[in-house]
Amino acid sequence: MSATLSASSDVSFAPLIERKFPDGSVHLERRPASDVPTVVSTPAASVEAARFLRDDPAAAYDLLLDLVAVDRLKLDGPPSFRGDERFQLNALLYSTKRNEHLRLRVALPASDPRLPSLIEIWPAADWFEREAWDLMGIRFDGHPNLARLLTHNGFVGHALRKDYEAGQRWLCTDEDVLQTKLAARSDLPEDVFETMTLNFGPSHPSTHGTLRIVLRVDGERIVAAESECGYLHRCFEKMSETHTYTQVIPYTDRLNYCSPMINGNGYARAVEQMLGIEIPARAKAVRVVLSEFSRIMDHMVCIGANLVDLGGLTTFWYSYQAREEIYSLLEACCGARLTSSYARIGGLSMDVPDNFVEWCRKLVKSVTTHIQEVDTLLTKNRIVQKRMSGTGVVTKEQAIAWGFTGPCLRASGVGYDVRKDKPYDGYDEVDFDVPVTTAGDNYSRYLVRMEEMRQSLRIIEQVIARLPGGPVVSDDYRVVLPPKEMVYNEMEGLIFHFKNVFEGIQVPAGEIYSYTEGANGELGYSIVSDGSGRPYRVKVRPPCFPLFAAFEKIIIGGMVSDAVATLGTLNIIAGELDR
Amino acid sequence: MPGKVVIIQPIEPTLAVRLYLPLLSGMALTFRKFVANVFTPKTRPTIEYPEQRRDYSDRYRGRHILKAREDGTLKCVACYMCATACPADCIEIVAGEHPNLAYEKYPTVFEIDLLRCVMCGFCVDACPKDAIWMTKDYEMSYFSRQEAVRGIPELTEKPSDTGADGPGYGYRPYYGASPAKKAGQFEPSGLSLLPMTLARNAAINRVPPPPPKPPAPAPAPAAKPAA
Repeated sequence: MSATLSASSDVSFAPLIERKFPDGSVHLERRPASDVPTVVSTPAASVEAARFLRDDPAAAYDLLLDLVAVDRLKLDGPPSFRGDERFQLNALLYSTKRNEHLRLRVALPASDPRLPSLIEIWPAADWFEREAWDLMGIRFDGHPNLARLLTHNGFVGHALRKDYEAGQRWLCTDEDVLQTKLAARSDLPEDVFETMTLNFGPSHPSTHGTLRIVLRVDGERIVAAESECGYLHRCFEKMSETHTYTQVIPYTDRLNYCSPMINGNGYARAVEQMLGIEIPARAKAVRVVLSEFSRIMDHMVCIGANLVDLGGLTTFWYSYQAREEIYSLLEACCGARLTSSYARIGGLSMDVPDNFVEWCRKLVKSVTTHIQEVDTLLTKNRIVQKRMSGTGVVTKEQAIAWGFTGPCLRASGVGYDVRKDKPYDGYDEVDFDVPVTTAGDNYSRYLVRMEEMRQSLRIIEQVIARLPGGPVVSDDYRVVLPPKEMVYNEMEGLIFHFKNVFEGIQVPAGEIYSYTEGANGELGYSIVSDGSGRPYRVKVRPPCFPLFAAFEKIIIGGMVSDAVATLGTLNIIAGELDR
Repeated sequence: MPGKVVIIQPIEPTLAVRLYLPLLSGMALTFRKFVANVFTPKTRPTIEYPEQRRDYSDRYRGRHILKAREDGTLKCVACYMCATACPADCIEIVAGEHPNLAYEKYPTVFEIDLLRCVMCGFCVDACPKDAIWMTKDYEMSYFSRQEAVRGIPELTEKPSDTGADGPGYGYRPYYGASPAKKAGQFEPSGLSLLPMTLARNAAINRVPPPPPKPPAPAPAPAAKPAA
C-alpha cells in the first residue's frame, strides 16, 4: 500500500469542481491512496456541493452510504480543532453508475455546530442525521424530525463527544418514553373507518430482536408508520475508543450476530489498510471461505426466520441445520460457535485444523442438500409466492435513494456487490455471479438470497481447491503477537509481546473508510487514528441501518401481515442496527 | 474486472404451480425426513442434551484454569498481562512476593468474573508464562453473582478438569504461529526477530495527511520504536 498522498488525479471531475466553485469553498483534499477520495466543503456550500456531486454526470454519487461525525477535540492538530473546526461531518457516497466511493467532508465549529440537512439530496440521510445529532450533537437545519435515535429521550448530552464522560447514567422516566407523534397527528384519515394505533414491538416474536414500530392501521391496512431503534444499543463505538485495536475484535462479533466472522474480518481489514500491511495469502483464503460460510448462515437464518413469521415452521428446521453444521466448522477453527473472534489484525488467531479442506468439502455437499431442501419447500410453493410476490416493493430508484446495499439492493435491480466491484482478499480470482432481480419485492429478495448461497458455495469450492500454505498471520511483531517459542525463550520476543499487549498496535495517525460485503450489504468501518494504540473514533456502517430506516416507508399501504414479511426479508439484525 | 451480473428470472406460475402441485414434493420431503428420523435415530440432527453432549474441538473457549508447576505452585507470575489484554476487564490480580526466590512474584488474588467474561481467549494469548488455559467446560451457571467470581482455589487446575470424565483442555497457547517453525527453519537467534523491511517501516510510520490548507506536511507523530 503506497503511503503517497494523492489528490485531484484520482477524481475525474476535479476540474469541474474548480470551475463550479471558483472561491474554493468546495475543493479536493489530499488523501493517502488507500483511503477514499475526499471533497471538502464549507457548511454554507454543503448542499450545493452535495447536489453537484449527485447530479453532475461526471460525479453521479447517487447512493449515500453513511454519515460519520468526528469530534476532533483531543486530536493533535492546529488550535482551530478546538475552535472553528472541532467537528467534522463526513458523508460517504457511492456512485452506482461509476463504481466509485467519495467522502464529502464539512468542518463545523465547536459552538452550535449546524449545517443544512442533506435529506432532500439523499433521503437516506434521514436517520443518519438523527444519529449524528443524537450522539455528536450536530444540528441539521430543515430536518423534519431531528429526534434522538439510539439513546432515549431522558438522555442528557451527546455521548460520542470527546468531552462526554462515559459511564454516566440517565434515567428514562415514563414521560421520556417515546410518545410517537403518530398517535397525536390529526392529518391522518379518520373518516371511513376508525383508525387505530398499534404498537408492534419492541419485543414481538417477528421483530427478531428489539425493534419498535408504531403503526396507524385502518382495519388491516397501514396508513402510517414510525419505527424506532436503539433498544440494543451497547455503545460499541464509545467502547472502541477506550480499547486497543485488538480488543475491539470481540465486540465486532456482537454486531451482526448471524455472521460474526464477516464483521471481524471487515474490521481487521480496515486496520490493516491503515497500517499498510499485507496479510498472508492463506489468511486471506481462510477469511474468504469462512466469510462465505457465514454469509450462507446469515441467509439461511433470514429465510428460515422469515418463513416462521409467515407460518411455515418446517423451513426453519432445515435451514438451521445448515447453520449448526457450519458453526461446528467455525468452532473447530476458532474455539467458539458464535462469538468467533477469529480475525486478528494481520491475519488470524491460529491456523485452521488439519482436516479443514476435507471438512469444507463435506460441508459444501451437505449445505447444497439443505439449500435444495429449502428450495423444494419454498421456491415453487404457491402459498409462499402469493404471500411474498408484490409485497414490500422497493423500486430501483427508491433503493438507491434510501441507501440500500447488499441483497436488498440487488433484488431491486442494481448489481452492486463489493466482492465483485471492489474486489478484496482475492475475490477477483474466483469465478462467481452476482444475482439480480428486477421486481424488488419480498419474493425477489428471497430468490436473490437463495442464489447468493449457491454462489457462495461456488466461491468456497474454488478457494479450498487451491488453499495456499504458509502462515496465517503476518510476521510483523509490532502488529501481531510473536510466536510462543519466542515469548517463552527470548528477550526480544517478550519485549514485542509486552509492548503489543500493553500499548496496543500503534496505528499511524490518519483516517480510513474500509468496506467489505457483509451478509446484508456493504459493511463499512470508518476509523480515525491519532497515532496511539487505541482508535480515536470507530464508526460502523451497519448495512441494516438504512434498510430499517426505510422500513416505515415501504410498508405504507400494505397489510400488517405483509409488514411482517417485509421485515423478515429486509433481514434487520438489531445487533448491528443499534451497535 | 467488470462484474458478471446474472438476472434471475421470476418463477413462471405454470399450471402445476397454480394447482399447488409443488407442495406435494415439499410434503414428500418432510415425510422422508420424518421416516428417516423415526427409523434411523443416529442420523438425527438433534441430540438429547443432558445425556448426550456435543463433542467440541480442542480449541473450545470454555471456563479458565490456572496451570501449575510440577511442585504445585501456580505458573502465574502476576505480570498483569491477561488483565490488560482482557477487553471485558474481568480479571483482578493482586501480586505478592513469593517465598521461593526463584519464582519472585505470584498472585495472592487472581479472580475472574465469569459474568463479565466474553470468552475471547485473549488472556491465554497474552500470557507469557503459559499459565492460563481454557477448558471445554461450557456449563457455567451459579446460584449467586458472588459465586461466579472465581478465585485461585476454583481456578487452579484439578484432575476433574482433565480426567476421563472432565471437560478436557480447550483453548491454549498456539504454537503454530511461527512461520519459520512451520517451514522447519526456526532459529532462536535475534536475527529472525526483525523482519521489518525499510519499506514497511516507512509505511507504518507514514506521514499523516496534512490539514486541508495550506498543504504543508505536518510533522510525523512520535513513531514508537519497536523495542
